[in-house]
Amino acid sequence: MRNCKFEGNIDEYLMNRLTDDKKNEFEEHYFNCSSCFEKMVERDELITAIKYKGQEIFKDEPATEAVKGETSWGKIMAFLTPKQWATVAVSATLIAVLVFSGLLMLKPPSPQFFINEDAVRGGKITLISPIFEVQTVPSQFEWQRLGENAEYRIYIYDNGDTLWQKTTKDNFIVLPENIKKTLASGEKYSWQVKAFSPEGALISVSSRVQFKINHPE
Amino acid sequence: MKNPNLPTPASVYIMNAAMGNEKKLDLEQIYVKYRSIVCFRVKKSLGVYNPDCDDIANEIITNVIEKLKRGEFRGESSIGTFIYTITSRRIIDYIRKKSKVLKHVPEPASYPDPHEQVENKERAETIAGAIKRLNPKYREVLYLYYYKELSREEVAQKLGISPRRVSERVNYSQKLLKKMIRK
Repeated sequence: MRNCKFEGNIDEYLMNRLTDDKKNEFEEHYFNCSSCFEKMVERDELITAIKYKGQEIFKDEPATEAVKGETSWGKIMAFLTPKQWATVAVSATLIAVLVFSGLLMLKPPSPQFFINEDAVRGGKITLISPIFEVQTVPSQFEWQRLGENAEYRIYIYDNGDTLWQKTTKDNFIVLPENIKKTLASGEKYSWQVKAFSPEGALISVSSRVQFKINHPE
Repeated sequence: MKNPNLPTPASVYIMNAAMGNEKKLDLEQIYVKYRSIVCFRVKKSLGVYNPDCDDIANEIITNVIEKLKRGEFRGESSIGTFIYTITSRRIIDYIRKKSKVLKHVPEPASYPDPHEQVENKERAETIAGAIKRLNPKYREVLYLYYYKELSREEVAQKLGISPRRVSERVNYSQKLLKKMIRK
C-alpha cells in the first residue's frame, strides 16, 4: 500500500513541532484521511506510553546518553534496511552472472605464438576420421591442416600403448597393410596428431580420439 | 451501533456541488467516524487534562449533525473539511472565552499521565512491557526520539545513522510492538 504524503507529519504534529500553517494543514488532512488518523492514534499511544513509563522502560539503557561509537561495519550495515540489503545482494548476483556470461561469450581464442611466418603455435588440430565407430578397419586417417609447412606426427594407440606412429607433411596418412592387420574388429583404438614447425618445434597437439571397429555383419 | 442521542432521520441528502448530483449522507456513520477525530483534535488543542474536552467534543459533533440536517453542508468541500472547520471555530471560541477569564491561553497539549483512565493506563503498561522486550537498537531510537525529544537529525547523529534510517527504525519498532501486543 502506498503511504500518504502527510504521514511524515504525524510525529512532528504529536510532538508540537509543526508551524501553525503546517499544523492547520495537517489537522484538516486527518479529518479527511482515515489512514493518517489511525496511524496517528497508534503513534500517540506509543508516545503516551513512553512519556508515562519512560523512566521504567529505559532505566537499564546503557548507551543512550553517550554518543554511540558504532563500528564502521555497523555504520555500513545501518545505511540500508535488511530488505534493501537483500535487494542489493540479489541485484549484485544477477549482475555478476550477466558479466560472467558475457565474458564467457567473449572468451578470446587460445593464445597463438608465431614461431615463424608459417608455423603458429597454439592452433587447434581437428581430427576428421576415423572417429567413434567404423564398420571396417580404416585405411586412411585424416585431420585438418594447420598452416602450410607444418609437419604432422600421427600416433595410433592400443589401450594406451603406441601401436604405430608416422610423420607426414600431408593432412592425411594411409595406414600400411601390416599395421591394418593388427587392428582387430570389435576393438577400440585411439589416435592423435601432433604438429611440428619445420624446425621441429611442437606447435600443436590434437585431442586423443577413440574409434571402435565394429564386427562385420 | 445505534446512537440513542441521534434523532431521526438517520440520513440526509445533500447536493454535491462538484458533481451536480444528490448524495446521501448517513448521519450515524458520520457520528461514529468523526466523533473520535473531533475528540482527538479537541484534546490536542485544549489539553487532555482539560475537564471541558468531552463536553466541547460532544457539542461540536451535535452541532455538525444539526447543520447537516438543516442542509447547511452543500458539498462545496469534503465532509471532513466541513467538520474540521466547525471544530476549529469552536476551539478558537473556547480559547477566546477562557482567555478573557484566565488572561492566558491554555498550554498546548502535553502527554498525559493516564493514571485516572484505567483503560489508557493498562494500554500504556502493555506497550511499555513490549518496548522493554524490543531489540536495544530499536529501543534506543524510541528513547532518544520520543523520551528525550531529540530531533530526527540529532538522533541520527548520536547513533551514527542517516535521519531516514531513524524514521525507518521508529516505524519498524511500531510494527514490532503491534505484533507483540497482538500475541
